[in-house]
Amino acid sequence: MKMKQNSTWQGVWVFGDYRNYFQNRVTLQLIAKGRLLARHLGTEVTVLLLGSEIHQYAMEYTAHGADVIMAVDHPALKTYQVETYVRVVSQLVQNFRPEIFLAGATAFGREFFPRLAKRLNTGLSADCVALEIDPENRLLIQTTPAFGGELLADIVTPEHRPQMATVHPGVFVERVHDHQATARILYPEVDLQAEERVQLIRSRPDQTRKGGLENAEVVVVGGKGMGSKENFQMLFELAQLLGGDVGATRPVILSGWTEESRLLGQTGKSVKPKLLITAGTSGAVQFTTGIQGAETIIAINRDPHAPILKMADLGLVGDARTVLSLVLEKLKKRL
Amino acid sequence: MLKFRESLVSSHHNYVLNQMLTPGFVVGNPDLKEGFFFLADVVQPGESGSRIYCRIYDSQGNFVLEAEPDRIVTNPLGCLRQPLSGGYRMVLPSGEPLLSVQTESFANGSLTRIQGKLYDRAGKLRMEPHFDAVLVHGESVLWLKDPFRKR
Repeated sequence: MKMKQNSTWQGVWVFGDYRNYFQNRVTLQLIAKGRLLARHLGTEVTVLLLGSEIHQYAMEYTAHGADVIMAVDHPALKTYQVETYVRVVSQLVQNFRPEIFLAGATAFGREFFPRLAKRLNTGLSADCVALEIDPENRLLIQTTPAFGGELLADIVTPEHRPQMATVHPGVFVERVHDHQATARILYPEVDLQAEERVQLIRSRPDQTRKGGLENAEVVVVGGKGMGSKENFQMLFELAQLLGGDVGATRPVILSGWTEESRLLGQTGKSVKPKLLITAGTSGAVQFTTGIQGAETIIAINRDPHAPILKMADLGLVGDARTVLSLVLEKLKKRL
Repeated sequence: MLKFRESLVSSHHNYVLNQMLTPGFVVGNPDLKEGFFFLADVVQPGESGSRIYCRIYDSQGNFVLEAEPDRIVTNPLGCLRQPLSGGYRMVLPSGEPLLSVQTESFANGSLTRIQGKLYDRAGKLRMEPHFDAVLVHGESVLWLKDPFRKR
């Protein structure tokens, strides 16, 4: 939407994606960041909540720092349908005019937000890894990986509103749950009567998917230094023994050693495990962006000058396959 | 501009009123010694369940009962307070329901739904069932941020 007057667009909005609430924390992370951005701009952070029987989530988002909850609670919104959601949310944006609108770069956000941006005739920066306010002009600086993750691009949306961005899970840190918090809650009267072209017949969860790499407490990451697809399997064995999950760098994905959903870094996922073990990764910046939230990093690399060893809490200089073989042998004896 | 209704939401406990969340609400005046009132008071962290105080009448304006969160304090008709899952209900001796109060607990908070058709001393309808909760009429404060009465 072409901006006519800067001042008529105010506030930071976060889309409340509450599906898999206790695993999917990205909305809470965005509320925390949105609150900081809002304070910088002298405004409020609003969480937009669509669905049916959404009281619990309104309370959760309040506990995590929302100033305002915008709730549209209606049976017609019980199941996500992109056409309905885009129509309803675009009505709300056109009426309430937030200057910034954020959503998680989840499968949902990646489908919904581009369509919404198109409907609103504004820009969208996808998969952002940082957000800041430019102190000179109050524009949102949206940092996103470019050229396959080789570069980080700072993008601004100077003329259109809202400034929209999706953000990787794990990039920001959520606020602690506050049992004393209160927020204003608004119930707008939106038009829900339009007939949709698509009718949802049924949906069911994919049984093959597990808890998710983003939420694992232990993550074992392999790089090209693992040498082969067969050697890479050692990482799955180690992850299983430690109750964790496996991530990979882009060269590993390009070699076809594991599936793309395990990619970590600027163009993949961000993780924040308690323990992260890297094996055969050099520590390129496009990869380390995705692991900087890890509490403890143990890195194994044969090159003593590899950047990953500078980042690690504990560095082991040696051949990753040899070290992992010894670790696996010890662990199996202990378990 | 779209029309909207506004309320307050607590992260710990809310009531559903007029299809909105609210930490607490008052209908009528609880400070008066006589006359209808209904106080759904703020439940603070560390407390559980709901905090309902009320003085209610029937559709003819006859006094029915006065109640506090844990008991009926004035009960000329011999109404009963019966436990329900997550709450309680109050019924006339004939078994006719007056009021039900049920609290649903979530992982980090709880929500109380009230149902009942309540009248004031003039026989005017002040509260009535509305979807799964209540709608209120007349003098009321639709959201309280702090407790109206101390425990």
